[in-house]
Amino acid sequence: MDMQTLQTLLWTLAKIFIIIIPITLTVAYYTYAERKVIGYMQSRIGPNRVGPWGLLQPFADVFKLLFKEIILPANANKFLFYLAPVLTLGPALAAWAVVPFSDWLILADINASLLYVLALTSMGVYGIIVAGWASNSKYAFLGALRSAAQIISYEIAMGFALVCVLIAAGDISLKGIVEAQQGGVFDWFWLPLLPMFMVYFISGVAETNRAPFDVAEGESEIVAGFHVEYAGAAFAVFFLAEYANMILISALTALLFAGGWLSPFENVPVLGGTLLATHGIGWFLAKTVFFMFFFLWFRATFPRYRYDQIMRLGWKVLIPITIVWVVVAAVLVLTGAIVRGS
Amino acid sequence: MTAADLMLALPEIFVLGMTCIIMLFGLWLPEERQGMISFVSIMTLVFAAIILLGWDDPDPAAVSFAFNATFVRDQMADVLKLSAFIVLAAILVYARQYLRVFKVAMLEYHVLSLFLLLGVMVLISAASMLTVYLGLELIALPSYALVALRRDDQRSTEAAMKYFVLGSLASGLLLYGLSMIYGVTGTLSLAQVANITAMGNNTVLVLGLIFVVIGIAFKLGVVPFHMWVPDVYHGAPAAVTALIGSLPKLAVFAMAIRLLSDGLGNMQMHWMSMLVVLATLSIVVGNLVAIAQSNLKRMLAYSTIGHMGFMLLGLLTGSDQGFSAAMFYAIVYAIMAAGAFGVMILLSQHGVEAEHLDDYKGLSKRSPWLALMMLMLMFSMAGVPVFAGFFAKWLVIQAVIDAGMIWLAILAVIFSVIGAFYYLRVVKLMYFDAPDKDDAISVPADFRAALTLNGSAQLLLGIFANILIGLCVASF
Amino acid sequence: MLNEYWPILLFLIIAAGMGAALVVIGSVLGPKRPDDEKLSAYECGFEAFEDARMKFDVRYYLVAILFIIFDLEIAFLFPWAVVLEQIGWTGFWAMMVFLGLLVVGFIYEWKKGALEW
Repeated sequence: MDMQTLQTLLWTLAKIFIIIIPITLTVAYYTYAERKVIGYMQSRIGPNRVGPWGLLQPFADVFKLLFKEIILPANANKFLFYLAPVLTLGPALAAWAVVPFSDWLILADINASLLYVLALTSMGVYGIIVAGWASNSKYAFLGALRSAAQIISYEIAMGFALVCVLIAAGDISLKGIVEAQQGGVFDWFWLPLLPMFMVYFISGVAETNRAPFDVAEGESEIVAGFHVEYAGAAFAVFFLAEYANMILISALTALLFAGGWLSPFENVPVLGGTLLATHGIGWFLAKTVFFMFFFLWFRATFPRYRYDQIMRLGWKVLIPITIVWVVVAAVLVLTGAIVRGS
Repeated sequence: MTAADLMLALPEIFVLGMTCIIMLFGLWLPEERQGMISFVSIMTLVFAAIILLGWDDPDPAAVSFAFNATFVRDQMADVLKLSAFIVLAAILVYARQYLRVFKVAMLEYHVLSLFLLLGVMVLISAASMLTVYLGLELIALPSYALVALRRDDQRSTEAAMKYFVLGSLASGLLLYGLSMIYGVTGTLSLAQVANITAMGNNTVLVLGLIFVVIGIAFKLGVVPFHMWVPDVYHGAPAAVTALIGSLPKLAVFAMAIRLLSDGLGNMQMHWMSMLVVLATLSIVVGNLVAIAQSNLKRMLAYSTIGHMGFMLLGLLTGSDQGFSAAMFYAIVYAIMAAGAFGVMILLSQHGVEAEHLDDYKGLSKRSPWLALMMLMLMFSMAGVPVFAGFFAKWLVIQAVIDAGMIWLAILAVIFSVIGAFYYLRVVKLMYFDAPDKDDAISVPADFRAALTLNGSAQLLLGIFANILIGLCVASF
Repeated sequence: MLNEYWPILLFLIIAAGMGAALVVIGSVLGPKRPDDEKLSAYECGFEAFEDARMKFDVRYYLVAILFIIFDLEIAFLFPWAVVLEQIGWTGFWAMMVFLGLLVVGFIYEWKKGALEW
């Protein structure tokens, strides 16, 4: 290996860590934010003992989990049991490899990045099934089945919503999709594809098994679902993956429907030329945080769906809507009602 | 794609559209009006036949291609498709009462049969390896589901499972062979494959050919790839056995012609020897093992194996004479099989499959008409002169003799005489044995009409054989 | 273009490695004091009975099959959607035939109750 290759390799590694470490920290503080936000929504104050305003709470949690015993149940399949958390976390993080943080901040600028993201997010379900099977416990098994069925059901609605985005954008790379949304708030795809925007976000919530679609780990029914037998650091990995997925869905929503790094004030007369109208990573992060907040808001607001209601919503409401909208979007593009971006 | 392309495939498009319409409207049809489905399905076949015949063609011998030469319409295709319509229409008439008695899902049976028909049509018209595979799977998938249609019946589901596993294996082998041929020639079009293979053969091509022949053999159910035939025929409901025992044979014959003659005709010396082995084994094993069967379904299954061996005899000559003989054989066989299973379907009207030979004891006293029809069908299968089955065998054997394979012809004659034994046994049971039961057999009018036509067709096709033979000869 | 995929491979390895590392760290740092009760499957404090490898509702299987069909459909829609403007109305109608066939199937399974839970 010559110097040049080594240098590229190290530089790539550095870039990867520059992406992964902030995500991990965001996950940590996302859990903190969740407890705070829900706390305030329920007129409590949430964590406040560890550090000022409870800011060190996530670290306390991490260390607690790391120092706990990892229990390997007697009847479990050892290899699969340890493989499952890795399978869950891997895709949740690796999808970030193609996320464009701004028009030039992107690790791997491949031309089929949306396809790559779709492939990786579909992988997540393997971790859940493997965990449920390997645990050899009834709760885990039922939780895994429920969770897998739910995830794949909503993945269809999600896929159709993505097809609509592709129809409107005419490009399959995330970068191209954002660039196709140039022009201001009303040119972002959330408006022309409003139903799809909603379907996508609802499916995203269901995909991550979050409230109100969290029957897979409905505490009152099947305890913790697929990861009931996991403890300590192994559990922490599942936890990390769930939150990383939430952040990923928020980021993708920001990219696909809310213009990514584009400034909302792009073509506003007074602000034009000022700092506010400049595109950049700041806008992307702000939008991601905005969507992340919704996950917490939903959890504090909505009661949990019943499982049959979840399946009904997925198959009988969202999928028909999306199929119809694929046709509508195609007609709109072909008749010129939606003009594809440059 | 042009409008002319679509016009060429209009019968297929019509069948597909009607199947979807039947599938949708059948869902809202109340239980007591399910008979409508059968009627509409048969009307679909009638109109499809009208469209097929009404297709205005100045030169009937013309070969027209469509969809970038993946779809071909020639006289062979038209004749085979028309036969498929007639056979399926007869089976649907036979099946109606049976489906009601056995509580088989009316809608699913008809929709799946129509999809199977669509597969048959696509395969018959295939001009590219892609269309071949598409048609083949379109036949295979509905067949698996049809066999398992009585899902509470253990034998039926077991048969479906066997059929599915072996059928997938066969599809896989065929696909493997096709992929090798594609790898060597670099084209999916069979006409171009023929052009390229004309320049010389290579080993990979021969290997591919072997897999293709195995795939065809599996689908035809010839020895040694016949294991699934008796079990599936036995396990499937009689109305389904009638379907999978007749229609796909027409299509697989067409597939063999398309692949072996149209595509790999230049490798005749290779596939000829393979087919000789397959045909010989089938004729021997099929006819010998059939004698030992006490179950009519299994007996007919082994008889199918024997018949397919005979059909291969025509194919393996590689001459136009042989091809047209094989085509005549395939059509006559499909009609015979539909009729024989039709009789079985009728006798099963009390909710028990009438598949044991004993069920046919003294049939002439219970219903002389039914016995007469069965007699004609059995005579035709046995190859008794004047009946259509005789001419089918005669033409095939003549083609073999003309190709200079005297010993093969002698073998075929010997075993067709041996085979006659078990067909005539059925006739003996019907006419010379005392009946076990003497309950009357009620026959719906349309059933009676269809079976009368089917049975007498054996005689008519025998007496006026030259009409169909003429069509077959003109096809090549 | 293929060069762009190397960082992705690296990222995949590191992401998986991170999960593995956490589990390893946890098992090094954490105590190891197993006993029979602790290692038995959790069933709300009751003695675990029967094996967890049990029969489950066929509907899960059905959902999986339907998923494959629709997911494949989406896979076909992806390239079509991107080049829609180039292929125009012909392409549109070709896909509508395909979509229509799947919708027929969808209506059938809906009416047959495959989507009931």
